[in-house]
Amino acid sequence: MTETEHSTEARQEILSSIREHLAASKRFDGQAVQPQTAQPRAKSNSAQGDRNETVIERFRQALEAVSGHCSIVRNIDEAARAVQQIVDQRNAQRIAISDSTLVHEILRRLKTEAVFLAAPNQSDLFDCDMGITTAQWAIAETGTLVLESERERHRLASLVPPVHVAIIEANRIRQRMAEVLELIKSSDAGLSRTVTFITGPSRTSDIELTLAIGVHGPGELHVIVIDEPAQPA
Amino acid sequence: MRVSLFVTCLVDQLWPSVGTTAVEVLRRAGCEVEFDQRQTCCGQPAFNTGYRNEARALARRFIEIFEESKADAIVSPSGSCTAMVHHFRELFAEDETWRTRAESVAERTHEFASFLINVLGVDDLGASFSGRVTWHDACHGLRDLNLHSEPRRLIRKVRGVEFVELPNADSCCGFGGTFSVKYPEISVAILDNKIESIEKAGVRAVVSGDASCLMQIGGRLSRQSSPVRAMHLAELLASRE
Amino acid sequence: MNHPTETADSTVYGPPNAFDQNALKALGDEQLHSALQNLVVTFGERREAAISSVEDWEGLRDEARAIKDETLAHLDRYLKEFANNAERAGARIHWARDGHEVSRIIIRLLRERNAKRVVKSKSMATEEIHLNAALEAAAIETVETDLGEWIIQLAHETPSHIVVPAIHKSKKQIADLFVEKIGIEPTDDVAKLTSAARRVLRQRFAEADAGISGVNFGVAETGTILILENEGNIRLTTSLPKIHIAVMGIEKVIPRFADLDVFLKLLPRSGTGQQLTAYQSLITGTKKRPEDEGPEELHIVLMDNGRSRMLAHPVTRQSLACIRCGACLNACPVYQQIGGHAYGSVYPGPIGAVITPQLIGISKATQLPYASSLCGACREVCPVKIDIPALLLHLRSEIVEGPVGGLSEQRGPVKKKFAEHLAFRLYVFAWSRPMLYEWGARGGRLFQRLVVTQGRIGKVSGLIARIAPPFGAWTAWRDAPPIAPRTFREQWRESSRIK
Repeated sequence: MTETEHSTEARQEILSSIREHLAASKRFDGQAVQPQTAQPRAKSNSAQGDRNETVIERFRQALEAVSGHCSIVRNIDEAARAVQQIVDQRNAQRIAISDSTLVHEILRRLKTEAVFLAAPNQSDLFDCDMGITTAQWAIAETGTLVLESERERHRLASLVPPVHVAIIEANRIRQRMAEVLELIKSSDAGLSRTVTFITGPSRTSDIELTLAIGVHGPGELHVIVIDEPAQPA
Repeated sequence: MRVSLFVTCLVDQLWPSVGTTAVEVLRRAGCEVEFDQRQTCCGQPAFNTGYRNEARALARRFIEIFEESKADAIVSPSGSCTAMVHHFRELFAEDETWRTRAESVAERTHEFASFLINVLGVDDLGASFSGRVTWHDACHGLRDLNLHSEPRRLIRKVRGVEFVELPNADSCCGFGGTFSVKYPEISVAILDNKIESIEKAGVRAVVSGDASCLMQIGGRLSRQSSPVRAMHLAELLASRE
Repeated sequence: MNHPTETADSTVYGPPNAFDQNALKALGDEQLHSALQNLVVTFGERREAAISSVEDWEGLRDEARAIKDETLAHLDRYLKEFANNAERAGARIHWARDGHEVSRIIIRLLRERNAKRVVKSKSMATEEIHLNAALEAAAIETVETDLGEWIIQLAHETPSHIVVPAIHKSKKQIADLFVEKIGIEPTDDVAKLTSAARRVLRQRFAEADAGISGVNFGVAETGTILILENEGNIRLTTSLPKIHIAVMGIEKVIPRFADLDVFLKLLPRSGTGQQLTAYQSLITGTKKRPEDEGPEELHIVLMDNGRSRMLAHPVTRQSLACIRCGACLNACPVYQQIGGHAYGSVYPGPIGAVITPQLIGISKATQLPYASSLCGACREVCPVKIDIPALLLHLRSEIVEGPVGGLSEQRGPVKKKFAEHLAFRLYVFAWSRPMLYEWGARGGRLFQRLVVTQGRIGKVSGLIARIAPPFGAWTAWRDAPPIAPRTFREQWRESSRIK
């Protein structure tokens, strides 16, 4: 256990203060009327419970409810076509990409004049008009993508450019957040240094509570779900 | 069923018709009503302002008087005063004897509407009152005692009444005890939201279970020369127009 | 342990002990009134809709409160566990007893690394300790990157809400501010205003030497900090600069990684009426390899600043369960009328009324616990079921009767209100004696002839208002009922005699 010398004394004082004040509370603790303590939930308190629809469909609905775009395709070729469409529509010229093999596979299938930057410096990154990454997991109940920094170098490609395209294999989508929290915690590569949850494009309601989409993060999020296991990433 | 009436100081001195109609309604519902004249106040104003020693003195007195009663229940036409009785135990955090006595008195103490519906199982008192009527949920009654459906059930059984639900029925009227005179401008600003929706509802009367709320709401309606009447639930249920 | 000093940092409003004057000022502000109406209606609807998508909202609240109670009962243990695990993952942990210490630590860190330009994401903890002012005094340029916080930084104001800091400002006021401060063309288009902010702040992100953030939750089990947002500025603040400093109140720790599920279901719904905010960053230590993305250093500053004191009583301990959602503000009839600045404190509304006196010393905020009608709407919406009315009553009794048990607190003397105390003593004396109680009513009936007309008491004269201020305060706006010609008990006695 290492501590910085500067805050050793502070640490001692704070921990002592906590212990002292908790001890002082003992004589009152039995008397206060506490709110009921809950039993640990046997099942996860899932939004809207379980429905008949598939996990993929649930994910799509949740994502679209927060202004994300979702395409469901059957294989990597179709995925590439979906990406092509987005690149063409946006007339993207400079595209930041993650180091994912799947992303590179898709790029090989694209016909475009756009320049792809694999590890752009900060200045180049800020000039990009699109970023393409995959996602390691997704949460259907909320329409959330989960990116683990140990598995893919991508964080900034999914954040800095105004458009983010994310590709995910359908079998990586789980119904509930609780499941995914467990998965990322006990991942083979260990809990990643940064895990990012992304639910739709960036937004704010700070001006008169009027919703504005696209603030510091991307204003557009396109998720392409490949509903068939692709090549290992 | 024998009932001991906890009339409350506010009703006793400023709004006695609430007390007399409450007695009338309870008798109509088949109860024998007794009134212990030693009672004065539950101490809520002192407790709410932070004067717990003073509140404790009045609480002890209340407990001593009412625990002597052989009545099956203590009934009060005030949600906030009933809630105060239920809070007595907090005044005796360090005194187990008094705390136990406080808890047993509290167990027998019921708010008027709750008593009619939940204890007596009675919702029709043979009342009649013609016109549009709305209900104001007094905060303590609503949030401390979970009163919501009971008063509405009772009102709906009054012949001739057209019940109108306020969009902000459960919003505070701004009274809050001494708050109403410590911060009168804020109190009245909150009140005016309630008044506005009452006027919009076009009712003949606004009904509530707490005389304090009725004093606040009625006082403003009266100042504005509004024809809308502020009525207590007991008065409505005793009505025979 | 030193108390943080609270300064009146808003130029328009005074400190907490000037609450009554502040409230009057706020009540006269038409524009504020309409902004608050918008807040109440909009957030009310969004929250209702968001909650309806949860099967067992009450169960969720109970569970969250149970987790908080468990944590607070063993806060020292969980903090140590958090610190150990965070350090094991490469973070540096700093402990700070108060706001001054936090600022000193951060300034030292920045100076050592020659960091002169800082980007900040929204953190109420840093507002609480006036960190920006300290950084500016140390010649470190600091820019807020959350849109609402940046707006108030440009306007030299303090936040008026925990979640939407610039809620008190109209679109026009914001547009005028942008025209003045960043030179845009006048517009009333929210999208245009937002992209102007994006454009300016992106530049700052690119140039920043360090990023400072808050922390929503610190997970003891893994040493992870979780920060949530909608705009993306937190991700940028915590990814681009080489140094990330996170300021974390000691009450933010939770035991297990899995506990995040509960709080992520409660906080967005309660705070902004969303099922989930756009981004959550779960940061555990620093990067494993130099070539990875992300900051080289992560410093977590654990801040006490008066929090450990609140553990000394079960009623006050629940203050520390707060997850800073702001739902109580939106539900409070008092906040709805006067807004946040009137409280004179960084934390306004119901939660502000109870933690401000505890953080800055009760003698510096004696009005706040009384700034409530005790309606309980706050308790109803609080995701962790904090019983704020009970807390207010507890603080009121401390103001009147002194501290309840616990350790002796350096609070400064609270001015006794002699007249009020006398009045209450008199009331108990008289009303413990039925004869005096009845004679009081009879006496009152006599005196009120001076003021009763047509069965009502209207506005009383200045003289009477001075003799009996509460009476004057009541009748300034409301009629008062007179003492009845025959009280209930007099009628009861008569009817018993008749029988």
